[in-house]
Amino acid sequence: MTRRNTLTPYLFLFPAMAGLLLFKFYPLLNGFVASFFADSFSTHSKIFVGLRNYVDALTSSIFLNSLWVTVLFNLIVNPLQIVLAMALAMFLVKEIRGKKVFRTIQIIPIVVSFPIACILWSIILNPEQGLVNSLLNLVRIPNQPFLTDRNQALWSIIGISTWKGVGYWAIFLIAGLQQISSSIYESAWIDGAHGWRTFWSITLPQMKQPLLFVVIADTVSNFLIFAPQYLITKGGPEKSTDFLMYEVFKNAYEYSNVGGAMAMMVILIVVVLAVIGLEGRLLRDSR
Amino acid sequence: MRKTSTAAKVGMYFIHAILICIVFLPLVFAIVSSFRPLEDVFKYVSPISARTFFPERFTFGAYGRLFSEWRFGTVLWNSLVVVLATVVFGIVVNSLAGLAFAKFKFKGKAFLNVLVLVSFMIPFELISIPLYPIVLKWGWINTYWALIVPTIANGVVIFLYKQFFAAIPDNLIEASMMDGVSWWRIYTSIMMPLAKPVSISAGLILFMSQWESFLWPILVTRSMEFRTIQAALSDFQTEHATMWNDMFAATIIAFMIPVLIILPFQKYFVQGIATTGAKE
Repeated sequence: MTRRNTLTPYLFLFPAMAGLLLFKFYPLLNGFVASFFADSFSTHSKIFVGLRNYVDALTSSIFLNSLWVTVLFNLIVNPLQIVLAMALAMFLVKEIRGKKVFRTIQIIPIVVSFPIACILWSIILNPEQGLVNSLLNLVRIPNQPFLTDRNQALWSIIGISTWKGVGYWAIFLIAGLQQISSSIYESAWIDGAHGWRTFWSITLPQMKQPLLFVVIADTVSNFLIFAPQYLITKGGPEKSTDFLMYEVFKNAYEYSNVGGAMAMMVILIVVVLAVIGLEGRLLRDSR
Repeated sequence: MRKTSTAAKVGMYFIHAILICIVFLPLVFAIVSSFRPLEDVFKYVSPISARTFFPERFTFGAYGRLFSEWRFGTVLWNSLVVVLATVVFGIVVNSLAGLAFAKFKFKGKAFLNVLVLVSFMIPFELISIPLYPIVLKWGWINTYWALIVPTIANGVVIFLYKQFFAAIPDNLIEASMMDGVSWWRIYTSIMMPLAKPVSISAGLILFMSQWESFLWPILVTRSMEFRTIQAALSDFQTEHATMWNDMFAATIIAFMIPVLIILPFQKYFVQGIATTGAKE
């Protein structure tokens, strides 16, 4: 359509673009600039400190620990959620009576917001009175400490976010699976290919696009995880769940170290971009 | 298609049963507990019996207290205002931008298009912390403004509308232009009525983004008067963590609202988020 340079498109675009610029790009830029400044206590002004906030962050054992916790969490939770979401999606497209009802049920955790999921699970995972422990007792497993133990807290959070996330990511994959034409599978069956063979040589290559999207979107959201440590663990026990977003938050609002918080945020963004770049390359190059 | 054997079918139902248990376990426990008096909440948890999942003494007390003591009415009202405003303004603002991208040629289009796509990659949680001092300077703390305005412009929603409008044939618009109909009229009386299914998906996406937001409401609403449901729940968790039944009642209300809104529109919701994922 060719409506040449009238004012109309700009009028239509203005509110949305102003919103994106003002509430996404401007704060991002502002934060980036702030990462090179520190508050001066004597004059109530900002002083330029160059890379000092970055050096401080990268030499602080607390920050390095939280960087490690965040990366470790993502190394486990992303592959886990994607494999489970793929399995769930393939299971939910199978013809069975009641298919629609089953699919609706699997969508339910999506509408439980993550903070609520955290609160609910933290009560159910209670070490003394929790429902999960009494279920474990049924099969003669003694009570587990879950969120209160430094070796189990991270795994408990992995469990909670997987419960909440898998159904959501499966929706995208179901949409992708439904677009693969069944004639491809039929000709494969005629050629004698079954089970895993068809999965590796037909399903996966055909699913590259939706998988790429899910992998990247899942990674971004898991790197920015905030609710569980804020609501339940406070980063503990012994800093075992001290994710980066929580350190950024604490530095900005509890320690009033805004410059430091912004430097940490920039490092977090760089890590996320590096990881999704790597994931994109791996997925594109495979096969 | 090959026939599924009976054994395979039984196996599938068995797996479905396990999945359903996993999904419902925390929810059922929460619902049951919300109808119990406080001293009964953990009484029947161990060992597991029928009484674990059926309340022995049944009461609406927790729900009553939420509204009389915890001012949950205000919280619900705030959430409703904020969510509704985000959805309505979000649909208008983003659909206008989508239309501009789909049906106009203008200077800077390629650049603005990239801006929209890049904004996909900047999640709101990340922006919350650097956005706070800006909003503070404007005096928006403890106002609806801070909760609503920053969430309206949404790259994903612009993209959804753009895809839809681009597929509408140009001659439909040309004909109206010949009759001297203005672009605004074309938008309101031709494009938006056609875009109803997209608007439902867009509305649900906007709804979810507002409903899920947690860090932002905590930061910008310091007084109870403007707390939304997620932020209020977090206060509740930190201040009254042992009022288990009241807390369960609050989570059940916070859970039922999106269920009631989303499940009737499930098809559109799934379509909406699926097309954003498949077409990127």
